Amino acid sequence: MAETAILYDSSKCTACKGCQVACKQWNQLPSPLTNDEYTYTESFQAPLDLAPNTWLIINFREEDKEVGIDWNFMRNSCFHCTEAACEMACPVGAISHKENGAVVIDQDKCIGCRYCVASCPFDVPRWDEAKNKTFKCWQCFDRTSAGREPACVSSCHTAALQFGDRAEMLAIARERVDQLKAAGYDKAEMYGEKELGGLHTIVVAHRGLEAHGLIRDPKIGLTDFWQFLKPLGGLGIAATVAGLGLSYFMARGYNRGEYSYDEKTDTLTVKEVEK
Amino acid sequence: MRYIQRHSAFARGLHWIHTIACLSLFATGLILFIPSVAAAVGVATVQGARMVHRVMAVIFIVAPIASIIISPKGFVHFWKSLFFKWDADDKEFMAKFFPYLFFGAKQHMPPQRINKSGQGVADGALVFLSVFIAITGVIIWFPELFSTGVVRWSLMLHSGLMILIGVFMLAHIYLGAGIFQPYRGSGRLMFGDGRVSESDALYHWGTWAKEELRKGDNVITE
Repeated sequence: MAETAILYDSSKCTACKGCQVACKQWNQLPSPLTNDEYTYTESFQAPLDLAPNTWLIINFREEDKEVGIDWNFMRNSCFHCTEAACEMACPVGAISHKENGAVVIDQDKCIGCRYCVASCPFDVPRWDEAKNKTFKCWQCFDRTSAGREPACVSSCHTAALQFGDRAEMLAIARERVDQLKAAGYDKAEMYGEKELGGLHTIVVAHRGLEAHGLIRDPKIGLTDFWQFLKPLGGLGIAATVAGLGLSYFMARGYNRGEYSYDEKTDTLTVKEVEK
Repeated sequence: MRYIQRHSAFARGLHWIHTIACLSLFATGLILFIPSVAAAVGVATVQGARMVHRVMAVIFIVAPIASIIISPKGFVHFWKSLFFKWDADDKEFMAKFFPYLFFGAKQHMPPQRINKSGQGVADGALVFLSVFIAITGVIIWFPELFSTGVVRWSLMLHSGLMILIGVFMLAHIYLGAGIFQPYRGSGRLMFGDGRVSESDALYHWGTWAKEELRKGDNVITE
C-alpha cells in the first residue's frame, strides 16, 4: 500500500461539521445526549475540544475585520506524523505506523499510561479515565485498507477533504496554494509536507498557518532525545557490570588478615592468616 | 571475640523495607523501560506490574519519611555519617579507591571514620537520586496536575534517574553485600544482626572502630 494522506483545504471548508458526525457515526463514538452536558460559549465550535470519544472537530477561529469577521476554520485531529512522538513515547509498543502512514493505537495493548498524551506536539491523544485507555483518530484504517475513504472525507460535500496517494495530495495542495495566492490570499500556505518527517494530513491554510492555529515547524519535545538516551543507559549499566566483574576477578582470594586493637595501649595488630 | 553494634534493628528494618521496595520498583519499571518486554508479557501483566510499581512507590516514599518522624535522631546520625567534611584520610581514600577495586591487595587504604568518603559519595548520591526519581514519579502518576512540559521532562528524567540509580545500586550491592572479596561479610551489617567484628571494623573504618572500642558502649563480647 502506498503512502496515503487526507488533504484538508480550509478555503473550501464551510464548517458544516458533517465530518465530525461521520467520524462519530463510523467509529461508534457516542456524544452527550442532554443540553446540560454542553457549556455555552459564544463560539460555534462544538464540542470545544477533542475527547476520548471525539477524534475530530472543526476549530472555529474568528478574526475581526473592519467589517464583520473572518472564519479561519481548521480541522483538528491527528496529523499522523512520520516521526510520531506518541509512537516513540509508548512504553508497550501499542502505537504503530500502518503501511500507508496512518498512526494507530492498538487498544488491546494500550495501558493508559498517558505518555503519548504528554508527548504529542499537537495535543491530540486523549485518555479515557473509565476505560483507562487513550484514543485518537486512526484515519479509519478499517475503511482505507479496504479501498475506501476515511469516514470524514466521505461526508465532505465541498471537497474540502480529500483522500488519496500522499504525493498526489501534495500536488493538489501546491496547485491550490498557487490558485489562492493568485486570487489574493497572499498568506496561503500548505502544511504537512516536511513537518515531523512528513504528515499524513496535508493542510491548505488559505490565511496562513498562524491564522488557522497551526504550529509552524513543530518539534518533538524531549521524547526523541529520551529514547536516544535509553540504549546509552543500557550501555552504562553493562559497562558497570563488566567493571565490577573485572574487579571481582582481580580481587579473588584477597586476604586481609586478622585485625585487633588494644585500646589500653592504643596498639593495632594485624595478624596474617592462612589462605 | 568482640563485635561492634553498627546498625540498630530500626535502621536494618528500614533498609530491608527499602531494599524490597527498590528492587520491586526496578523489576516492574524495567517492563515499561523496554517496550519489547512489555509487549512480550502482555497487557494484564503490565497492568499488574504498574499496580505493584505504585504500591512499592508509596512504600519507597513513605518509609524513609516515617523513619524521620519516628526517629529524628537516627536521621541526623544517618545524615552526618554521609555528609561530612573530608580530612586528609578521606581524600586519600577516594583517590585510591578505584585502584583498590582492581588491585586491592597492593593498595594500603587509610583508616576511615564512621563511613568511608566514597561511601558518603555513593550513598549520598543514592539519597538525592531517590528523592528526584520519587518526585518525577509522582508527576508521571498524576500528569493532569502538571503542565505538558513538566510531564515530558519528568518522563525523561524518571528513565535517566533509573539508569543512574541502577549504576550506583550495582556498586552498592557489589560492595555492601560483600561480593567484592575484601568486603566479604559486609552483608551481615544490614541484612543480619547489624554487628561488625572487631577485625572487620578495624579494616573498614579504622578511626571509627578504635573510638568505639575505647568507648565500649556498642561493644559486644562473645
